[in-house]
Amino acid sequence: MDRQEIEDLIARVALQDRAAFEQLYDRVSAKLFGVCLRVLNSRAAAEDAMQDTFVKIWNNADRYNSNDLSPMTWLITIARNTAIDRLRARKKGHQNLDSPGFELVAPGPTPEQSAVNASEAAKLAGCLETLEGDRGQAIRGAYLDGETYADLAVRFNVPLNTMRTWLRRGLIALRECMSL
Amino acid sequence: MSDVNDTAPDDEMLAAEMVLGLASEQDTAAARQRMASDAAFSTKVVFWYERMTALTDDIDPVKPPARVKKKLFAQVFARQKVSILQRVLLWQGVAMASLLFAGYLGVQLLKVTTHPDIPPPVLAAQLDSDSSPLRVLAVLEPVKNEIALRRVAGEPVPNRSFELWAILPDQAPVSLGVLPDSETTRVAIPPSWRDQTAQMTLAISDEPIGGSPTGAPTGDVLAIGAMTNL
Repeated sequence: MDRQEIEDLIARVALQDRAAFEQLYDRVSAKLFGVCLRVLNSRAAAEDAMQDTFVKIWNNADRYNSNDLSPMTWLITIARNTAIDRLRARKKGHQNLDSPGFELVAPGPTPEQSAVNASEAAKLAGCLETLEGDRGQAIRGAYLDGETYADLAVRFNVPLNTMRTWLRRGLIALRECMSL
Repeated sequence: MSDVNDTAPDDEMLAAEMVLGLASEQDTAAARQRMASDAAFSTKVVFWYERMTALTDDIDPVKPPARVKKKLFAQVFARQKVSILQRVLLWQGVAMASLLFAGYLGVQLLKVTTHPDIPPPVLAAQLDSDSSPLRVLAVLEPVKNEIALRRVAGEPVPNRSFELWAILPDQAPVSLGVLPDSETTRVAIPPSWRDQTAQMTLAISDEPIGGSPTGAPTGDVLAIGAMTNL
C-alpha cells in the first residue's frame, strides 16, 4: 500500500473533499470489506459495518493527523472495531470499542511504528507461533473475533482469572519477541 | 467486576488490552484520557495498534457490491444537499430570481470563453454565530460584482451599526461598509478583490453608529461565514 497516497487522500477527506472520499473508497474498500467479512462472517452484516466505517472515516478524517498511526492501520482499525462492535451488540452488556484517532494523542517522540512493514507483519505471525500453548490463538481470537476474557475462558475451559493471567503472559512474551 | 486482578496491569498491558478490546470499561475510559496527555503511553498504544493490525494482512480483499457505495454516498452527502438547498430556499422573491439571473449571465459569459462545459460558480455564504441571533445570507453576483445580502434573523440594535467586513486568508479585515437597517441590501466588491471572492470570508461586527472609527472592527463579531460554491 502506498502510504503517502492514502495519507494525502485522508487529508483531503478531512477538508470534506468528495472526490477524494470516492478515491479513498475505491482504493481501500475491498480490504476493509474483507476485514468486516472476516469478523462478522455474514455479507449483509459486513456491508452495514463497512458503510458505518466509511461514515466514521468521513466524519473523523480531520482527527487522523493527530494520532500517529499509519493510514492503513487507522482505516483497518476503524473497520475492525466497527465490525466487532456489531458482533458484540448481539450479546448482552456489550461495550463499544472506540476507534483510534477519535481521541487525541499526546505528541511524543517519533514512534517506531512508522517502520512497520511487511517483515514486521511476518514477525508478528512468527512471534504468535512461539507463544506457549494456545496463547497465540487466544490473542487472535480477541483481535479477529472480538472474544472477551469471559469468552476465552469458556473456550479454553479455564477460570476467568487464569485466562487473564495466561493471556497477559502471552502479551508480555509477544512484546518481547516483537521488540527483538 | 467481581474477579480480583492477580496481575496488576502495567501500562504495556493496559495498552495491549485496550487495543484488543479486552480492557474493562473503566480501564478503557482511563486509557483514552491518558492518551491525550501522556506521550509515552500513547506510543505504547500506537505500537499495539500497528502490530495487531498485521493480523489482518492475510485477509484477502473482497470487492464490496456497488450498492454499498451508493447507500454510503447517499447517507454521507444527503444532509449537505439538503442544507444547501435550504440555504437557497431561504432566498425568496427577488433574491432567488437574482441568483438564477446571475447564474444565467454566468453561463452566457462562459459560453464565449474556451470552457463552455464548466458550470458557472455561484458563491454564497451564510453568516451567523453562536453568540448572536443575527443571521445574514450573502450571494455573490459575479456580473455586477456585487454581494446581495439578506438578513433572515436578528434585528438592528438602536444606536449601533452593523458593519460588513471582507477577510482574505492571512489578511486583516477590510470594511465593505455599514449595513442599512433594511432586510436586504447590496454591496459592491472592490475591483482588486474580484478574482479572490472564492477565498473570501464575510463578517458583521457591532460598531458605533456610522461604523468603526478605526478602520478595523472594534466591537463583537456578530456573524461570520465563508464563501461556498453552491
